[in-house]
Amino acid sequence: MNLDQKQKDRVMDTFVNVTLFVIMLSMLYPFYYVLILSFNKGTDSLLGNVYLWPRSFTLENYAQFLNDAAWYKAFLVTVARTVLGTVSGVLFTCLVAYGLSHRDLLFHKAYFTIIIFAMYFSGGLIPYYVVLRSIGLLNSFGVYIVPSLLNTFFLLIAISFFRDIPGELKESAHIDGARELVVFYRIVLPVSMPLIATMALFVGVGQWNSWLDSAYFVQSEELRTLAFRMMEVINRSNAPMDAIAVANSSSAGVTSYSLQVAAMVISIAPIVCVYPFLQKYFIQGIMLGSVKG
Amino acid sequence: MNLNTQATGSGVAEKSGSRLWKRFKKQATLHVFVGMGIAFLLVFAYTPMFGILMAFKDYSISDGIRGIFTSEWVGFRHFDEFFRDYQFGMIVRNTIALSLLKVLFTFPAPILLAVLLNEVKNNGFKRVVQTISYLPHFISWVVVVGLAFSLLSTDIGMVNKLLLGLGVIDRPLDILTNPNSFWGLAVGSAVWKEVGWWTIIFLAAIAGINPSLYEAAQIDGAGRLARIRHITLPGMKGTIVVVLILTIGSILGGGMVGSNFEQAFLFGNSINNPTSEIVQTYAFKVGLKDGRFSYAAAIDLIQSVISVILIFSSNYIAKRSSGSSLF
Repeated sequence: MNLDQKQKDRVMDTFVNVTLFVIMLSMLYPFYYVLILSFNKGTDSLLGNVYLWPRSFTLENYAQFLNDAAWYKAFLVTVARTVLGTVSGVLFTCLVAYGLSHRDLLFHKAYFTIIIFAMYFSGGLIPYYVVLRSIGLLNSFGVYIVPSLLNTFFLLIAISFFRDIPGELKESAHIDGARELVVFYRIVLPVSMPLIATMALFVGVGQWNSWLDSAYFVQSEELRTLAFRMMEVINRSNAPMDAIAVANSSSAGVTSYSLQVAAMVISIAPIVCVYPFLQKYFIQGIMLGSVKG
Repeated sequence: MNLNTQATGSGVAEKSGSRLWKRFKKQATLHVFVGMGIAFLLVFAYTPMFGILMAFKDYSISDGIRGIFTSEWVGFRHFDEFFRDYQFGMIVRNTIALSLLKVLFTFPAPILLAVLLNEVKNNGFKRVVQTISYLPHFISWVVVVGLAFSLLSTDIGMVNKLLLGLGVIDRPLDILTNPNSFWGLAVGSAVWKEVGWWTIIFLAAIAGINPSLYEAAQIDGAGRLARIRHITLPGMKGTIVVVLILTIGSILGGGMVGSNFEQAFLFGNSINNPTSEIVQTYAFKVGLKDGRFSYAAAIDLIQSVISVILIFSSNYIAKRSSGSSLF
């Protein structure tokens, strides 16, 4: 390698590292910015020029968030739907997948045809709405849980995962006289933790972030989700010449904007805490998904 | 067993029937598990498919599910009405432009990022950049729009305040409320949100390239750019084709990054409406907000039919030309 080549190499290294560093900052800074704003006095934030740390530190925004009935309620609804929706969705999908993972299952071709067809064709939003309405799910908490019980994408992934579990494991349990549900619960689930962690992450994040179902199918203020409330506030302040509404301050320098910023941090925080630890699982998951499609 | 079948004749059907029944009874629990899933799909996937009929009828929501079948046929009247709508041209133009622009930029971006990451020699730095790059994928569009608002709005946006303070601009930039900037905003935020996520797949493709190819090229005197061009990029070809099929099939929803509806709905406002109104947001407004169910179902159906055609034809073309396909 001659000197010229070495120099070129260094130029390239610098270019690559600097570019990636800028990309990384552009991804990270928006999150950091709302984090410091959430700890800054609301009325002070409106003056601008807060870039690196809170200028006027306060916990009032979070205190107000918890005191505000509407925000707090939305937070509880979101936690409830995330926990219930994730547990029931993962269990239901796995149970169906366990049945389908038996290659000698009668009618399994028919079952698969029904599932694959449903993956490619849908009736669209309006007929779906009519169905939800007629089975009484509109405007109820159940609309967050029941329609997302089965995830066809993860169903296919789970089937191929269960098929790779050594047959002897299941056989030995059967010989001991265990019933299918026991085999599923005692043997299949415990050896499928990587799969379950991946599913739980995606289903859980989907539930936590969801606002469309709240917008489409729910009118009751009691059932609004955190993401929906944020959408409402953003939509309101997105409209032109609405700065005054933002500046309409309440006690302790908290503004509707600083309240919204605190809500954003609260909705981001659990995701930031969880996803780095599940990294290796979901990378496996996306690879599996892309190969088996 | 074979002999037995030939010999008895009429007893066969009965016998194999009872054998089938025995097998079914043995598997009964499994069929209950699967049956729950099938029942779920019948209710939440197949019943709405029959609901498509309402696009050709005068359906009223007060008639419930039965109304789908009992209401009066009107043929293509709702479709005709949409084609004559004064906003029709604008809505179709926005849908197509937004979809094409998003694919054009969100498709190559993760490929470039993967190539860049592959050139990093420090593994720690590489891992940190990658981990941070897919954080936005897990954040909801609502929060992303909220972040954009905090940074870009004319009154409290950090970027506007900073640029005004530095004297770079003398009027705040109205990126969020300007019809001319909506497409750029949608494309930019989509790249920002999803580039890291799709990089995972392309990095895995790079990891599958035989390292001896790089060594051989180096001995032959190929520089790093030459190695990227002749080894890294060709090594990703299979993955690129598969992702391209996915992208083209889902182009009307925004390609592989999706979320055309969410972006148009959340970034859209009365001022940028001329460029932000798309088929899906329009169908939502006339359907669930104005209660014109048949009309909205017809609009939805047009988009679904085009999407299905795109999925199958892109898959067919890919199968023909390269041997890679999804199904």
